[in-house]
Amino acid sequence: MYKRKIRGPLIEGNKTLGQITKEIAAPMEVTPGLWWYIAFFISSVAAVFGGYAIFITVNKGIGTWGVNNSVAWGWEIVNFVWWIGIGHAGTAFSIFLLILRQKWRTSINRAAEAMTVFAVMSAALFPALHMGRIWNVFYIFPYPNTRGPLWVNFNSPLFWDFSAITAYLLISASFWYLGMLPDLGTIRDRTTSKIKKAVYGLFSMGWTGSSRQWIRFESLSFILGGIAAVLVVSVHSIVSTDFAVGVEPGWHTTIFPPFFVVGAIFSGFAMVMTLMVLIRKIYKLTDYVTDNHMDAIARILIFISLIMATAYVTELFISWYSGNKYDMFTMFRNRVTGDYTMQFWGMIVCNAIIPQLFWFRKIRRNWIGLLSISLVINLGMWLERYNIVITSLSKDFLPSNWVSYSPTIIDIGVFVGTIGLFGAGVLLFMRYIPMMAISELKSVANIGTKKED
Amino acid sequence: MTRTFKIGIFDDEMKFISSIRSLQEQKLQIFDVFTPYPVHEVFHLLKRKSKLPTAAYFFGLFGIVGTLAFLYYTSVISWPLNYGGKPFNSFPSFIVVTIVVTILTVTLASLALFSARSKLFPGRDNTIFDLRATDDKFVIVVDTNVKDTTVGEKAGGIMEEQGAIEVVDKEFENVEV
Repeated sequence: MYKRKIRGPLIEGNKTLGQITKEIAAPMEVTPGLWWYIAFFISSVAAVFGGYAIFITVNKGIGTWGVNNSVAWGWEIVNFVWWIGIGHAGTAFSIFLLILRQKWRTSINRAAEAMTVFAVMSAALFPALHMGRIWNVFYIFPYPNTRGPLWVNFNSPLFWDFSAITAYLLISASFWYLGMLPDLGTIRDRTTSKIKKAVYGLFSMGWTGSSRQWIRFESLSFILGGIAAVLVVSVHSIVSTDFAVGVEPGWHTTIFPPFFVVGAIFSGFAMVMTLMVLIRKIYKLTDYVTDNHMDAIARILIFISLIMATAYVTELFISWYSGNKYDMFTMFRNRVTGDYTMQFWGMIVCNAIIPQLFWFRKIRRNWIGLLSISLVINLGMWLERYNIVITSLSKDFLPSNWVSYSPTIIDIGVFVGTIGLFGAGVLLFMRYIPMMAISELKSVANIGTKKED
Repeated sequence: MTRTFKIGIFDDEMKFISSIRSLQEQKLQIFDVFTPYPVHEVFHLLKRKSKLPTAAYFFGLFGIVGTLAFLYYTSVISWPLNYGGKPFNSFPSFIVVTIVVTILTVTLASLALFSARSKLFPGRDNTIFDLRATDDKFVIVVDTNVKDTTVGEKAGGIMEEQGAIEVVDKEFENVEV
């Protein structure tokens, strides 16, 4: 192992093991501040608004959305891809860093995985609603049925998408829960309340920390980590085939799978940063999520931002170089110029230009800088998906098909609802689950400190 | 059945490990040890090994073969459907679903095996020898219900010598680990 002199300690303040338990468990043991109730109330109101929009959608049909015959995919697919992208970070974060043995993941992986689970849940809502008749949603499962049996089309990217998302949700939730077992055991053994003891006892499933449990736990973490790493790359590649397999100009390109995967990790890491800035600020956990941690995420974001910029330029270049006039039209007359310039240039500024501010050390170490740039990146990634979905559909091969698109209040409602759902989920997570992996923090407590030497 | 155990509690990883070494040198059987985080030294000393990776490999093999067989059966045998003149057995596009379902199979099956082998499932009430083992203490448990009645005394002596902060005898009924 290399000495970590350059990076400094992973956990500051020379904590003892007992202190780590106490400080991470503290937010769960006290009544949260007023801010928590206010934030939870706002999230719930947003979720209720979303519930209303979903009710209208299911009751009256997707005619209540802004979609039409040409732009058959509207905000819902934009939001779906956006949420799935955000949902990539958790697993990307904890799994890539786990198999690369990057110990600094320990303070952040739990929150990132929690975020993943809520984001993928929000994402999964959109395709289900988009089917129009949500009560027939089980038709997508390939089960022996009385209709033939008529099987689903296994060659369709839409079915690939369904299987990928289902698997991703199940696997990321399992991985998250597995990592939580030892910490739930810790909380069970700490608490004095009988109800809490019973609840955490049930969910910790009899964890004792014996050597037999630990070796299997570690071995299983690496197995799940290793195979889920493949899944992280494949899920968003599969989402991109929803577009790339179609013939629409601007979609039918081979750059899509890597472009989507990188974009997903970009928005996900930005969301991790947003959350971690808030968590360390509110709960004063700066000893655990140090400035060095935030610095590392910011550096990854610059790197990904440069890849994104390269991808944007490549797309434009290839559409010109290919000589395909439809592709040229979409890229240069309907994105760079035309009705959707706001979205296109917004995307360029938010994703390729503003993140370059992270080259400055002062900004990487300033929480307002980190928070605002991470939010800008998420906005930029949303605009990117808007750009891809809407522009290609609104003006395709036949000018008689050309229409413009704008969302209705129901579209907006469903989106706001998923933000509310995500917010409420994250707030409940902060309140009832240890926000950092206590047992993993303990194993890295001495790294980079004087105690190690 | 009530069983008595000699329990040594340590607050330092080094003392804890040297204590395990001394106990093993004296040929004293260690029942199990409990730690707040995985200590790799312990796995070597107690010769703990996990066969989960091997099992996962076979789950993966089962997943791949099973999924491809299922896709072949549905698309070629059960109800062949012509999608734009593509072959019924369109292997390249089956790969996508196969990868995803294989990963899902490995995950769920390994989890189930882990849960069964480690005896971890909701409602499971494993014996907790010392509450502090999940917080900041390292715990060695020695089973004293053996023919040699001096085991408890010997083990206790060694652990105290090696710097245990506490050495106690505890009785447990229906021990489950």
